[in-house]
This record gives sequence, structure tokens and C-alpha cells, in this order.
Amino acid sequence: MIQVDLHKCTGCKKCEVACAFFHTGKVSNRLARIKVLNLYELGIDGPVVCIQCEEKYCLKCPEEALSLGSLGQIIVSPTVCTLCEVCEKACPIGAMEIYHDIVFVCDLCGGKPKCVEACTEGAITFAQGEHGPSLNAIKKETSKKSPNQKRLHFLKKLGASLREKWSSKHA
Amino acid sequence: MLENGYGGQILRVNLNERKFQVEPLDSSWIKPVIGGRAANSKRLFEELDMDCEPLGPDNILIFGVGPLTGSFLTASAYYTVSAKSPLTGILGDSAAGGQFGAEMKLTGFDQIIITGKADNLIYLLVTDGGVKFVDCPEYRGKKIVETTEIIRREQGDIAIQVAAIGPAGENGVAFAAVVSSGNRVNGRTGMGAVMGSKNLKALAVRGSKPVELADPLAFLAANRKIDQDILNHTEYTKRHNLGTTMLMKDLNSIGILPTNHFQGGVCSYVDEISGQRLASSFKVKNKSCFNCNVHCSRYYLAGDQEAEGPEFETLCGFTSRIGNQSLPFALEMNAYLNQIGMDSISTSEVIGWIMECQEKGLIHPKDLDGFSITWGEKEKIQQIVDMIAFRRGIGDEMAKGTKKLAERFCEEAQKLVMHVKGLDIICGDPRGIKAYGLTYAIASRGADHLRAEPYFELTNRKEESMKRFGTEKAADRLEEEGKAALVSYSEKIALLTDCLTMCKNIGLCMDILSLERASSLLRAGTGLDYTSEYLAKILADAIDLDHAFNRRLGMTRKDDTLPERFQKEPLAKGPTKGMTVDIGKMVNEYYKIHLWED
Repeated sequence: MIQVDLHKCTGCKKCEVACAFFHTGKVSNRLARIKVLNLYELGIDGPVVCIQCEEKYCLKCPEEALSLGSLGQIIVSPTVCTLCEVCEKACPIGAMEIYHDIVFVCDLCGGKPKCVEACTEGAITFAQGEHGPSLNAIKKETSKKSPNQKRLHFLKKLGASLREKWSSKHA
Repeated sequence: MLENGYGGQILRVNLNERKFQVEPLDSSWIKPVIGGRAANSKRLFEELDMDCEPLGPDNILIFGVGPLTGSFLTASAYYTVSAKSPLTGILGDSAAGGQFGAEMKLTGFDQIIITGKADNLIYLLVTDGGVKFVDCPEYRGKKIVETTEIIRREQGDIAIQVAAIGPAGENGVAFAAVVSSGNRVNGRTGMGAVMGSKNLKALAVRGSKPVELADPLAFLAANRKIDQDILNHTEYTKRHNLGTTMLMKDLNSIGILPTNHFQGGVCSYVDEISGQRLASSFKVKNKSCFNCNVHCSRYYLAGDQEAEGPEFETLCGFTSRIGNQSLPFALEMNAYLNQIGMDSISTSEVIGWIMECQEKGLIHPKDLDGFSITWGEKEKIQQIVDMIAFRRGIGDEMAKGTKKLAERFCEEAQKLVMHVKGLDIICGDPRGIKAYGLTYAIASRGADHLRAEPYFELTNRKEESMKRFGTEKAADRLEEEGKAALVSYSEKIALLTDCLTMCKNIGLCMDILSLERASSLLRAGTGLDYTSEYLAKILADAIDLDHAFNRRLGMTRKDDTLPERFQKEPLAKGPTKGMTVDIGKMVNEYYKIHLWED
């Protein structure tokens, strides 16, 4: 699974750039499967990406276009997918988004994630074989939100606990 | 149409009529200026009514990016804002990093050209589809981060990037800033005041046109080498940990840290206000510009204030330059100035100049509405900042800039203004860094280091100096020989970084960018035939154009100089003791290299 250490993230977006570039040859945050948010009002920056959650809500695809790969990654069959948006709506953190008729979700780059290679700060790491955490608690909070809003909600939540650590250190 | 590197279009916005127009970017027009700063200057040169009032509707405000902005190129984050400067009356421009430039690039517009004046306070949302004009009279007085957050919420998109003005820009302070990414400041030459004069509170951008490269694999290979050179650089760790604040102790150790308004170059309490202390006691994490691997910026908490930064200029400007020994206070001021949108360098010059003039009895409190201030008086420093930003009392005069403020006082006081061409000098005493001194004198936006950033003279690389400039002395900060050659070289690389929109700390100070490298990046990026010889030629042409621009605005050879202090008063102590600058001689040599007659 991909793990993020928010404290180490500087918001540089190297992960996002690498993801888009190595998947498409182009650079654009819309084409990245890992999306970095800069929350200036909190001083928090961080990437949101599929964390291979315990529940795997997205796999409830009615067309069975989604399957689980050997690394725990989500595999989307473009020929079976009907763009029904069930997976996009099911993901609690906005890590899955349909853009230009393609389902954008992390595929772990076959086991050597480019985002992890690109991060010179060690803020993103890949732990092979480990299971992701539960997103049960956040699922209810974001059920009606857009992927964009879900990412914001998720990052704000993670950011709040980081800010608590900062304040206790600098009290 | 340009398909690779460039967005390929320009956007013209007329605020009088609230209309916009999209035009294709002509490759024969853009190729000889590349993009970014040089393209902005060319646009102004061609289209600006040179006699226009800087704060009138006819001034042209341009946001510009380059062909590699927001691309796979490391640290390709910058964008430049240009207009006729309300502070200096000549060419004005200021660049900033952060995230705005890369997002603007995705709109497909290489330049956003804004003219006229809106009849109400508005912000613009620019997407690939064009412009949405949004009235926002209720935003008046709002600070930068708050403005950013509200626009994102209103538009329902957290990925929007915003360049905004604060109260200083709204109130027409001649050195008001444009601020993006919360704390990234286009500080110099008053671009925020120009924006305010147009009733434009913010420019918000959100794009979806990907940056495409002509030869992605060749580009990848070229950028890998750049990354290796950055990560293996001898200064990498120091820059990563301290950013430009490393210069507090570095400059002090060579006796050129401006202290008490350039009266001294050695600060006895430097350890109290150093970048090292900031990092150990206040920093909570590193911050970064788009696609950079140095991560030299910092986020800090100080009391009830928090912000990104400060960079060296603000830190020095609000500590030793004005005699303040309190680091937490300087950090508060950094946060505050960023949020009200006011240039810290020019603000600290107003303050420092008043302090020195009052110390010397040249300005009586009665000349300043009864106001008096001396070194490091925190409450009064805060008071001056507010008087300027909100144009209260005599603050209304201070808001015009130190040079104009000084015109109300005696000649001796006027001589103490540390400026060139009306732009307040940066924090680095030119008596001990001669190439920087020359750069301040010749810089086309007025006293400034970024036009050439001749950091090379601080590196002591004698052999390399001999190879590049035919003398070992160009690598010796105290020598004047070879400095015209050094500046004439590094001003090209500086301009190149502004056109690729790469970071100067990396491109120049870390010596990562060269004409050869830029030519391979530009060829792989744009598919256009950029050779290094061609680059050398067009960069020289663009520098000539800046020169011609300012000649049209009334500048002459005599304006390329330094304040008398640096020419006549030797520094009294420290490693630069006894030094002055023979600026006339260096400027003459510089003119010869450029074949300029006047």
C-alpha cells in the first residue's frame, strides 16, 4: 500500500507530475492518479491517492469492471466499464475519478510507484503486501460529496491531527 | 499553432467592458523572447502607452508564463507580473514561485493581458474556456489567504490557484504586492497597486490543458541530469534546511549584512535572528514550489501567527536592517506583510531610512505628524506598516515610496535613501559584493539583484572564473575587475530562468542552468530550433530592449549608479572593512560590453 507522511509533504507535487508524465507523457493534475492539495489556510499540503482501504468500496462495481491485482491495486477494465460512476461515488476519499471517460485510480505502477521514486522527502512510501486502513469512519461523512470535495475533507481531517502535534510542540 | 511546451494562446481582458478575447500565440513573435519576463517586456514595449499613468486604466498588467512552466522541468514554477511601475515610473515586473504559474499554464494562456478598470471590485476566474467576471465588493479589505479560501469555496474547487492583492494593493501603496499560493509574493515594483487601480482583487486560475512536450524522452533525460546535479550539490542540504535564510549568517560572516540601515555590515546579534534559529525553534515543516526537489521554503508557527517563509530579504529587512533583535517579531511581520500584500524590502527601507534620518536629526518628529522612531522599536514599526498600508496621516506620503517621501526633506536626507531608479535596495551591502553592486546599478527595474544574481563572485571558483571571464578576480567578491563580464554573463542566465520560469536559486546560485542545457530543454520541450548560439543572441536582444524601454521612459546613463554611501563611506569594521564601490568604472565596462553609447 501507499503510505503518506503528511508532516514530510512540502506540497511540491513531484508525485503528481511523475504520475501524469509516466502514465500519459503529459503533465496535468487532472491526468494524475495522485492529487496534491495545498491548503493555505492550514499550512497543510498533501497527496490524496488510493490507499487500498480495507473495505474496497469501489469493487462493488455492478459491471464487475474492477478487480483486485496481486499487489492490492485496483484494476479497471476499460472494455467492461460503462462509466456508471458507482466506483467514483463509492470511494470515500476521492481517490477514484472519471475524467475524459477514463477511470483514474492508482495502479501502483506494477509495483514500483513513480510517485514514491519522485518524492525526495520520503513523504510517500510503498509497503508491499500490507493492507490499507479502514475508511469506514470517513465514508459516512463524504457520501454525497464530489471527488474534489472528498479529497479536501480527507486531507483536512489528516491535517487537523498534524496541526495538533505542531501546536503541542510549539506551545 | 504552437502545440508543444507553450499553451499556444494569449488572453486579453478588458475590464472597462468586462470582455475578453482569445488570440493564438504566434510562434515567430514568441520564439525570440521565449516566454515569461522577456515576453512580458516585449508586449509592454509594443503596446503600452509610455506616457500612461501607472495607476490609470491605460496601464497594461500582464501575467506571463513560459514554454516550460508547469512542465516536467524541475522547479519550473515561476510566473512574472509586469506593468509600468507606480513606484519607479519605469519598467516594472516581479516574479513568484509557488503553485500559481503551473496552474495558469494549464489554462493554455501563456499571457493574460489586463487593461482598463472595473467599475466595481471584481475577481477573474480564468479557465481554458475563458473568463468569468465575478463582482466581489464584500472582499474589500480581505487578506490573501482568506481571499483564496473564499474564492475556492465559492467556485467549489480546491485546486483553483489565486493571485490576489490585500489592503495595500487596494489602497494604492506604490510598493504593494501581488500574492499567490497564500504566501508567495510578487513583491517588487508595486504590481499589487496596479492591480488595485484596476479594481481587480484577484486573478483565479484553473486549467485542464496538459503540458505536452515535443520529445518527452529527450526531455526526461535532460531533466534527470539536472536532478542529479541538484541533489548532489554541495549546498543542497543547507538550502533544503534553511532556504535563503542561510544568508543571514553567511552575509554577516563576510561583513555585508545590512545593519541599522546600511551603516554597518556586521550584526552583533545575528545568532538571535538567524535562519538556523528559525529552523530549530519555529519551523514546523518544509514547503516547496511546484515540481521542485530542494523544498527550501518553510512553514512556521510564532505565537498566534503562522506563515510560509520568510525569505532572507524579509528576515533581514525586519531584523538587522532596522535594528530589530526579536526573531518572533520579524516572523509576525512576515506573516502580516504577506497577508496585507506589501513588499517587505521597500517597507523596511521606508522604516530604516526614517530611523537613520531621525537619529541624525535630519527629520524632526514634527515633520512626521509628531512621529518618532528608533532602531528596533517593535510597536512603532508595526504602527508605520499600518500607517502605510491604510494611508493614515503621514503614512499617505510614505506609501509613495522612500524616494518620493524624501523629496519633502533636505538633500542630506535624500542622499540616505538606499535606492536605484526609485526602487529600494535589497539586503546585501554592495561594498563587499561588487558584482551585486553593479547589478543594482544597471538592473532595468531598479536596484535589484535578481536581474543577474552574480552569486558566482561568492564561490571563490578561481579556475572556473579564469575559464569563463578571463580573470580569477570575477570569483573574488571584493574585486571590481571582471565583474562587468560576470554580470553580462549571469544577467543572460537570470533572464533565461525568468523565461523558462525556473527558480534562480537553482538555475543561477546553484549554477544548474547554462545556455547549452536550456537549448536542449527548449528543443525537447517546444520542438523549436533553439541553439545555444541563438539563445545567447536573443537574450542579448531582450536585454537591449529593456534598456531601450527605460530610455523611452526618461532614464539616462546617470541613473545607472549607486547611492553615495556605497561609493564614498568605507565600511567601518568586519571582513569588508574599508571597502567602497567604484561604480562608475564598472558601469562603463558594462556599457562597453553591451555596445551601448548612453
